[in-house]
Amino acid sequence: MPLWRAIAVFRFASMAFVLVSIIRNVRDYTHPVAAVPAVAILVLWSAAAAYLYARPAWRRWPLLLADLLVALALLLATPWVVGRAALDAGAPTLAVAWQAGPVLTWAVSGGRRRGAVAALILGAADLIVRDKLTQSSITGLMLMLLAGVAVGHVARLTVESEQRLQRAAELEAAGRERERLARGIHDSVLQVLAMVQRRGAHLDGEAGELARLAGEQEAALRALIATSIPPAPGPAAPGPPAHLPDHGPTKSVRGAREGGAFWARRPAKRAPTSSALAGPDVDLRTVLDRYASPEVSIAAPATPVLLPDRVATEIGAAVGAALDNVVRHCAGGARAWVLLEDEPSGVVVSVRDDGPGIAEGRLAEAAGQGRLGVAQSIRGRIADLGGTVEIVSAPGQGTEVELRVPRVAA
Amino acid sequence: MTRVMVVDDHPMWREGVARDLTEAGFDVVATTGEGRQAVRIAGAARPDVVVLDLQLPDISGVEVISGLLVAVPGVRVLMLSASGEQQTVLDAVKAGATGYLVKSASSQEFLEAVRRTAAGDAVFTPGLAGLVLGEYRRLATAPDQPDDDGAPKLTDRETEVLRLVAKGLSYRQIAERLGLSHRTVQNHVQNTLGKLQLHNRVELTRYAIERGLDDA
Repeated sequence: MPLWRAIAVFRFASMAFVLVSIIRNVRDYTHPVAAVPAVAILVLWSAAAAYLYARPAWRRWPLLLADLLVALALLLATPWVVGRAALDAGAPTLAVAWQAGPVLTWAVSGGRRRGAVAALILGAADLIVRDKLTQSSITGLMLMLLAGVAVGHVARLTVESEQRLQRAAELEAAGRERERLARGIHDSVLQVLAMVQRRGAHLDGEAGELARLAGEQEAALRALIATSIPPAPGPAAPGPPAHLPDHGPTKSVRGAREGGAFWARRPAKRAPTSSALAGPDVDLRTVLDRYASPEVSIAAPATPVLLPDRVATEIGAAVGAALDNVVRHCAGGARAWVLLEDEPSGVVVSVRDDGPGIAEGRLAEAAGQGRLGVAQSIRGRIADLGGTVEIVSAPGQGTEVELRVPRVAA
Repeated sequence: MTRVMVVDDHPMWREGVARDLTEAGFDVVATTGEGRQAVRIAGAARPDVVVLDLQLPDISGVEVISGLLVAVPGVRVLMLSASGEQQTVLDAVKAGATGYLVKSASSQEFLEAVRRTAAGDAVFTPGLAGLVLGEYRRLATAPDQPDDDGAPKLTDRETEVLRLVAKGLSYRQIAERLGLSHRTVQNHVQNTLGKLQLHNRVELTRYAIERGLDDA
């Protein structure tokens, strides 16, 4: 659209130029009176073209051809109106620069090649009219050709980029709509799952089992939503917006799809590499949220707890090991609570269960017998990160594992 | 009899909750699925407790809570959330809700929570305790605090209690472990919320004044 307007402006500007050149030379013309209808055509067509080209429906062959023919007619009428003598003396044609108008419309409507064709047709007519090759007429032809090709190229680029932009906007709108729908659906599904669990929780047999399954799915879905959709900061949240790292959503999706028994959903084990330390930070909350279930509560701050990928993965694995241990050593129905705290000096993760607890000395005893097991694996992982592990337990009061990992200066 | 209003846009859930409450001896004075309507009818229904779903179709949970507290000063708000989006829950608590429960909680847990909310207790889930702990820490370390006077702080005891709540201990277990009375533990938990809500009101007022002065 801006290109068409530019052509209209060019047309009027070049029209003014032609009028000036005709007025200056009209005394030398063979038929000065015939210049009057020529000027009338020039003015009328400039106005008509500006009006018609402004309407997309009109930018078709009939108008394009008429445009070219008007310019051609003015050119071909030149020898008769102006006269051979004046022309040979260097008088300009009746069209002069105005004849570039059709070249530009052709170029904008059809690209480089069409622009070049129009330029060659008008250029050839210009040469025929002059009868004699002059430097200026060849330069004029070359300039017109150049304008046709260049404008055609730019027009094509504009159209393409406009299409691309529109496509991107459409995709974005579709994505946003999908996200909105997903939110709505998730919310409804959660409601129903929670309802099923609530209604059936006290029933025995299959109904009770169904309620339990509904509860597990509800927790998994809730964890997925909580971590994959960045919450919109509310009006009462003056703090920094809780953003998630780019790869957060895909990771949590993978975590939830791994399925299986509820605390078998451990993060994929990855060989720690030193280069991972330099990688982008990961929100430890999304790592821990994968362990959420009706039996496992995850408490964490509302803002992201960003740690290097390797540190977050290792902490996640240590928490997973602690939770596995709860399953192994506690009778069915044991619950566990994970608390994540983000302190200036580092992060603290506590894992508590309400199982029978570990008798005093049992851990040391096990280590003495060479059965290092879980405690060792947790201690090893956290020690590698420069952190400390504290295990507190008493019979009948459950076990509490507290992991402290310092922040490494980046 | 405790007067309860249920605000939830899911009809099945709303009716189920209302039925449970009625059976348990509560007086369900109003039910609605829209936040604006809730605020409108609260003045006439005068509930003691509002059971509020945080995800309503028309206005945000924070707006509903603020509106309810204006319409019925002193009303207690127990919020329920299906998806537990953390910032939303924290914002609602700062706006004045005193209890939080995920929708997957059992009927017994729910009724107990309504009872305790009506009695003026703060009803915390471990998750909410984690959020509140995190918020205090954020306020303490936030670089955008120009003067240090406003930021609320937890006492060591309050921090200790909140951490134990976040780790799933009941008030009774906490009282036992710390050698405190059940009531004292409750007071500590309530204070942590009270300070946060007060700070939030002060911040909002300060913000409004600043804006007002700028506009003038």
